[in-house]
Amino acid sequence: MASSLVKPTIRAILIVILLLMIGAPFVWMVLSSLQPNSALIQPGNFFSPALVTFGNYVKLPSATQYVLLARNSLLVALISTAIAIPLALLAAYSVFRTRYRGRTFIYNLLLVVYIFPGVLLLAPLFGLFAVTGLLNSWASLVIMNVTFAVPFSVWLMRGFFTSIPNGIEEAAAIDGATDMQILWKVIVPLTAPGIVVTATYTFVLSWTEFMFASVFIIDDRLKTLPVGLEALVSQYSIDWGLLSAAAVMAALPVVIIFTFAGRYFVESITSGAGK
Amino acid sequence: MTTIPATATERDAVQSHPPARLPEPPVRATLGRLFIAPLMIWLALTIVLPLAYCIWISLTSANTMGGTPKFVGLSNYATIFGDGTFGPAFLRTLAWAIGGAVLQTVFAAGAALLLHQRFAGQHVARTWIMASWVVPTIVTTFLWRWMLNADYGVVNQLLLGAGLLDRPIDFLGSPTYAFATVVWINAWRWFPFLTLLILAALTRIAPEYYEAAKVEGATSWQLFTKVTLPFIQPVLYVVGLLGTLWSVNVFDIIWLTTKGGPIDTTTTLPISIYIRAFQQFKLGEASAMSVSLALFLLLFAVVYIRFAPKGATEQEVD
Repeated sequence: MASSLVKPTIRAILIVILLLMIGAPFVWMVLSSLQPNSALIQPGNFFSPALVTFGNYVKLPSATQYVLLARNSLLVALISTAIAIPLALLAAYSVFRTRYRGRTFIYNLLLVVYIFPGVLLLAPLFGLFAVTGLLNSWASLVIMNVTFAVPFSVWLMRGFFTSIPNGIEEAAAIDGATDMQILWKVIVPLTAPGIVVTATYTFVLSWTEFMFASVFIIDDRLKTLPVGLEALVSQYSIDWGLLSAAAVMAALPVVIIFTFAGRYFVESITSGAGK
Repeated sequence: MTTIPATATERDAVQSHPPARLPEPPVRATLGRLFIAPLMIWLALTIVLPLAYCIWISLTSANTMGGTPKFVGLSNYATIFGDGTFGPAFLRTLAWAIGGAVLQTVFAAGAALLLHQRFAGQHVARTWIMASWVVPTIVTTFLWRWMLNADYGVVNQLLLGAGLLDRPIDFLGSPTYAFATVVWINAWRWFPFLTLLILAALTRIAPEYYEAAKVEGATSWQLFTKVTLPFIQPVLYVVGLLGTLWSVNVFDIIWLTTKGGPIDTTTTLPISIYIRAFQQFKLGEASAMSVSLALFLLLFAVVYIRFAPKGATEQEVD
């Protein structure tokens, strides 16, 4: 707004280049999924409108384990989200709406967890989960999804919590509300967009998580979509049409969620949480 | 130009951008401690305990196949430093992290400056630039493997068609190109997120600063170098730190494109740790590598923060 460094036309061109840089690969993926594989491996052929087919999508559920994998991923993501929301809500309330010694230290600690390299935990967690019998169970994935989702969610909720007027709990307490009633009936409705952001972030993180899922889950029937798709990519390494359709279907759930909640997510990073 | 007059406008601007400190809410200390306890216990079990356990197993003969681990002192460390895998993987990790951080910060800064401008569809653009970060990495890596495929990939076809190449390039299969290609794919996935962090800093610059500078007759370039840049510099520094730490941590993008190959050219430490633990089943040695990497990252973070420009670390907390 304030600083227009470059002429509007150049700026428009640069913005288009930026959006193409992100968008073009996805457009290409969708186009590939709508072509028979025979057309895709024909040299010099990019996209033939005459050959558009939904054959790859029809073939996907029968030729692959897509349905089972998607169901597993969905369940893991939903359970992770259901646990992350109350944990993040309580933690955010504690950090932003109460005062006690060590509060700032805890806040900083949460940020450290967010930048903590999860790969360092891979080997010891495998050992610990093996000892506790959690290996090869969704619990191991849910536990790690929540661990990495909640600290950042607390950070994202900052703007939503600090914008609530300070006296509101006291006013509710005078009316006879208990602490839990205040949290549930006053704070939760006022921070609803923040809860949406937490849910979005946790779901996306869980749906896309690959590293822990590839190590902790051994049973094929329990595998999540990213790990299952990797096997598919190796197995059908020449059927680019089918794989493109599988990739589109793997991206679709998070794209749908982001269509509705993406704006809150982006705004809570660029404005709310930044304050 | 550098000093903006201490006018009422400036004081307002400062007030609308409070210092990077948590606001002071009413006390309710007991409730606060009670509410933070579940998360603290959770993180103690999932981060602190595994880290401590990691140090312990790095001193034992533990392996992924089971059996009773024996205490072996520092011999795992002697093995990983002695057999010539740690050193090269470490240097590759360094190149990977620095290359990635620079590329991502440059992309992110450019994108943030563009998206900070007001234009029709700005909100849509800001949301959907996140697309590459939101989709599963398996989708990202498949996408690029398909586009960069030597025989049928669209990139090679276009380059050949335009006469820029005589023969197709096997971007991910050639020892010459694989490393740079994976750095690119990783940057493509991560830079939008860093863009948002820089955008947040740009949004925090009060319009009054630009107006005051304009009144004094500043050119667009001067506005950029004297107002925008000083404001976002601390954030750029933090983004560099985040970009580096996250890059070091990257496992999936590399594993799903090259598995560390060809001939180890993309084997960074996370790949090395994974192979050592889950393909060679040497949990003790993998843990020794993890501990060594953790110590290095800690050292790096401390030094980086030590030399941070004033305000950078608080901005991050903020």
